[in-house]
Amino acid sequence: MALSLRSIRNGAVIVVLLGIPVLLLRSTAQDPHRMSAFDRAVRRIGAPLEAAVSYSAGMLGAFFERWVLQARLQDTNERLSSENRELRQRMRELVHLQEENQQLRRALQMREKVHEDMIPAERVGVDQSPFFRVVNIRVDRGREYARPGMAVLSPDGVVGRIDKALDDYSDVMLITDPRSKIAVELARTKAQGILEGRTEDSCSMEVSKDYDVEVGELVQTSGVDELFPKGHPVGQVVEIEPLVGDQQRLHVVPAVRFDRIDVVWVVLANAPRPDPRGESEGPLQQARGLGPVQ
Amino acid sequence: MLRAFVYVVLGWLLIALTGGMADVLSLTVMLPATSVVIVTYAAFSPHTSVHAGLAVAIGLGYLEDLHQGAPIGTLALAHGLTFLLLRWASGRFAITGFIMRAVAGLLSAVLLDAVTLAILLVLADPLGVPREALLGVTSVLHWHVLATMLVAPPLWAGVDRLLAALRLDDRPPQQAYWTGK
Repeated sequence: MALSLRSIRNGAVIVVLLGIPVLLLRSTAQDPHRMSAFDRAVRRIGAPLEAAVSYSAGMLGAFFERWVLQARLQDTNERLSSENRELRQRMRELVHLQEENQQLRRALQMREKVHEDMIPAERVGVDQSPFFRVVNIRVDRGREYARPGMAVLSPDGVVGRIDKALDDYSDVMLITDPRSKIAVELARTKAQGILEGRTEDSCSMEVSKDYDVEVGELVQTSGVDELFPKGHPVGQVVEIEPLVGDQQRLHVVPAVRFDRIDVVWVVLANAPRPDPRGESEGPLQQARGLGPVQ
Repeated sequence: MLRAFVYVVLGWLLIALTGGMADVLSLTVMLPATSVVIVTYAAFSPHTSVHAGLAVAIGLGYLEDLHQGAPIGTLALAHGLTFLLLRWASGRFAITGFIMRAVAGLLSAVLLDAVTLAILLVLADPLGVPREALLGVTSVLHWHVLATMLVAPPLWAGVDRLLAALRLDDRPPQQAYWTGK
């Protein structure tokens, strides 16, 4: 069998190439204390290569790990965002409930303070002016309980009175309504007058110039009209306008923010008059049918 | 020469990538031997000479030694011997299609593991490796072989695609990588 020069050369190259790992193995198997110069050279060459391979593996591993972690973080982020949206919604609901709770508490406190026979009513609608101001509200009490003319109160003060009582609901005429007239007095000077509605957020009343009225003075119901219980806040004097003669006009801003009302009280009957003998309570005087001050 | 360089660089990247994946995904036994797939590809490639292919195999084996912390030279020699055996087989068998590539990957991994085990068993005493530990490793080798079999077809196609992109594949279009031939 004749061997060609090429075959011999190929065989030699293969042997040389296979000799490299054999030498490497021999070097590895050597006792570290008895290594030859060749073994030390092999190790010296191998050390930086080993470090380079480890470094590149670490780099790629870190890149891959980061990529995987980013995907995981994105999933976590989406989950947390969704959770956050739900919690925010829940928080808004809780804030709303808290406000409602506060209003109800105030309404209950008011109920304990006021002696009149009242029934709570919830606001179910509003009529607004072109300037988005509340000009009329609607409560969930129909003619079964409410009658036109009945006073409507809130914990902050006087709201108005029942204008129309329908089957399931009633319309409330606010004290700012130009048709509204209620008997009031100034809390400090006790100057009495009739408060009339003027615009969507103000009223006015006229009192004698003899009274030294100050801006910021509290206006409250006088009870003279037997429609509104006495002593309920109505508003605050914001401007004093002198008139010709001996009168002065007081501009009053209502104490109640009509756009924030949720629960109101409809006064069904006035408080019983005190018994001079103190033996028994008198009967409740029905407020139904009482007409507004004309 | 450039083709051999591509094999080595690709093999190196795959070794590092596999190591990184194993680290992140906490894989220990079911790791593919990507190097052996490249060695098989080189062995069955008519455009790769025996010398170049053997050099690539030994180089990849050396990198595997360094990466795996094996006694230096063990996997280099095992890869070299495996390449020679596969090269011998390439004169008798042809690998076409994805299934054959998977089978080739499986058999190559078995061959490499057998050669590596044989080398380590022979050199167990000088290398200070207990033979019982070596034989214990054989119980989990099937996972390694299975992973290599799964990885072989896509990796083979990827090498095809890379060589075509680098204009190192002069096969006619009807036999290009996307045909699976």
